[in-house]
Amino acid sequence: MDFRPSSAQQLLVSTAREFLKKHCPPERAQQIALDSRGFDETLWGRMAELGWQGLLIPPDLGGSGGSLLDVIVLVEEMGRASTPGPFVPSAVVATALLLAAGSADHKKRLLPAMATGETIVSVALDDAGNTLVLDARGRLRGRALFVESAHVAHALIVAADAGDDRRVVLLPADRRGVERRPLDAIGPEKLFEVACDGVSVVAEEWLEPATARRVALQAGALARTAEMVGAAQRVLELAVEHAKTRVQGGRPIGGHQAIQHACADLVRDVDASRGLLYAAAWRASEGAAPAADVAMAKAYASEACLAVARRGHQIFGAIGYCEEHPLHLLHKRILAASMDCGDVATHLEQIARAIGLRA
Amino acid sequence: MEFGFSAAEQAFADEVRAFLRDNPLDRFPLDGMDAGYGSGAHSRAFMKALGERGWISMCWPESFGGRAEPMFFKLVLFEELALAGAPFGPLAGSWQTADAIIDYGTERLRREVLPAIARGEATFWQGYSEPDAGSDLLALKTEARRDGDHYVIRGHKIWSSHAGIATHGLVFTRTSREARRSRGFSMFVVPNGTPGMDIRPIRSLTGGVYHYEVFLDDVRVPVELMLGPEGEGFQALLNGLDSDRFWGRFYKAPALERVLRRLVDHANATGASADAGLRRRLAAMAAELAALRVLFYRAACLLRDGAPITYETAVAKIYADETGQKLARLGMDLLGPWAPLRPGSHEARVDGEISHAYLTSLGHTIAGGTAEVLRTTVAVRGLGLPAEPRKA
Repeated sequence: MDFRPSSAQQLLVSTAREFLKKHCPPERAQQIALDSRGFDETLWGRMAELGWQGLLIPPDLGGSGGSLLDVIVLVEEMGRASTPGPFVPSAVVATALLLAAGSADHKKRLLPAMATGETIVSVALDDAGNTLVLDARGRLRGRALFVESAHVAHALIVAADAGDDRRVVLLPADRRGVERRPLDAIGPEKLFEVACDGVSVVAEEWLEPATARRVALQAGALARTAEMVGAAQRVLELAVEHAKTRVQGGRPIGGHQAIQHACADLVRDVDASRGLLYAAAWRASEGAAPAADVAMAKAYASEACLAVARRGHQIFGAIGYCEEHPLHLLHKRILAASMDCGDVATHLEQIARAIGLRA
Repeated sequence: MEFGFSAAEQAFADEVRAFLRDNPLDRFPLDGMDAGYGSGAHSRAFMKALGERGWISMCWPESFGGRAEPMFFKLVLFEELALAGAPFGPLAGSWQTADAIIDYGTERLRREVLPAIARGEATFWQGYSEPDAGSDLLALKTEARRDGDHYVIRGHKIWSSHAGIATHGLVFTRTSREARRSRGFSMFVVPNGTPGMDIRPIRSLTGGVYHYEVFLDDVRVPVELMLGPEGEGFQALLNGLDSDRFWGRFYKAPALERVLRRLVDHANATGASADAGLRRRLAAMAAELAALRVLFYRAACLLRDGAPITYETAVAKIYADETGQKLARLGMDLLGPWAPLRPGSHEARVDGEISHAYLTSLGHTIAGGTAEVLRTTVAVRGLGLPAEPRKA
């Protein structure tokens, strides 16, 4: 047993931290978050130059063949820096899904361009709000909700009902009949309704549905957990720094036990969330992840990291209420991540079954 | 990163499981109350069985009669025993005492006490707290005065677990008055039954006896039974603190998993498992126990690697104790009107184990450093927040 990241992972983390400090400082993250389009092509391009979008993709398809655990430590840094953009849906979820459930043609057509950042793929696999139906003549009707970064996506992977079956299909985002309407959420993520009005889909665009959903949910849940852990880690750092420097009544507020004990709880929440995340990601990388590991990591971190953000607001006092302060972005990131790729209730039910509770 | 157990560790786990299969737990009578989710009871018979397998001394150096196995073997042993609900209450204390004796014990302690620990015959109570020295341990008043080749100990210790059934006390005393508050303390290994020692039971809120108070009325102890350098006892205590917190609490993660399994079985048997709210609470508890285990594993790796520890064992201890209370509380809700029935009662469910855990877990956030003192430790030692001004 060994909790230390490999030297390659340490290098990845330190490079990412330096890079994001320079190219995505808090002010920039704020700007992009408040902008309605909220996509920074230059930043996305620079990330691709570092090979980030291709980290999960094997070398013969233009990537660098990293493990899921490698991606997780990278996404943790993005969460820490409130990095905006479609990295998780495209470079983690869609990538993992295509690798596991795509045809040779899908892979060859999409993955090399996804590795260079030229192609962005968004996903709509969540059942919540999804009314998509694929009829026998190959027409897709209905809508999917909460599709992140659909406006900059070149392709979409969507789940739809097809009679007794559930299908997962891959289609170009600009196909005739596809409409993308923005939802206005409190957080920095750009969410869309994807409406389909008789969009034609051919059988070559079907992905093996069971594998697609399982792999996407697993990779996505881990990546969202990594975002939460990174963001919560940042809240902890900022809160401790504030507690040391904010003086009231002649001494730093961090000299009072009420604040000290709150900070001690933040440490527990962050450390425990990260521990579960790494252990689950390691098992997934080894190819043998019982779903309960991932479900436990996501369910636990969703509660614990959100508690960190909320407690952080209390430690910061009034200043944390301001838009210009970084706290709310971190908080909203955690909130959004906790809902995506299975919310707490979904993951708890998975755990309930795994520990043998009968329905 | 790597989160699995090695082949050798897994093989050892199999060996422990086989032992537990071949030796049903009802063969081992209990002689001291449990306050650790079924695993905190004192059983001389069980300690001797562990001794016979060589498992108490397995990690000691060969020159001290051990097999120099890696530290993680102890972790594996704890885990398997706790998952089975075996009564190994005194084991962590035996290991800690043995480690201190191996590190800086006298020849006599090494010759007389160490082999008795290895056989599972010697078990220890901690004589640290006093009526006026709880969280503020350094306020203790028990004194040891040198008299020729003996020390004469006089004082009053309290909250000593299993003191009436263990064989020796680890008695923490003041041996001199020093300018520095933390100097002048020394530890003694005092055999039970030494003249002048009066051990009295304290009945607990469970109705059973777990703690004792010990009156020391001019107890004469040979100089060779002092453990560690004279006057530096507090530093020695601090040096062993992380290890102490770890081994004294690690077993709780697997022990609580056993309790959770019993609650799941009970929920299935009664149909309560279909209740959505209860399913979520039990599932969330399973995730918390997994998180607890990970915190302990990380602390174990730091201890194994000799890496610096500032707050990691303190966080794990707080979390273990609070999670245990939460699980016991959940268990009471699950059992409803049956919840208050004692172990052994007619109609008791889950063997009355939950009501007992509910009560005994109240002490966990107090014993061995209160949750409040430890949170301050995490903040000050771990995060570098300024310490509160302390009166000299």
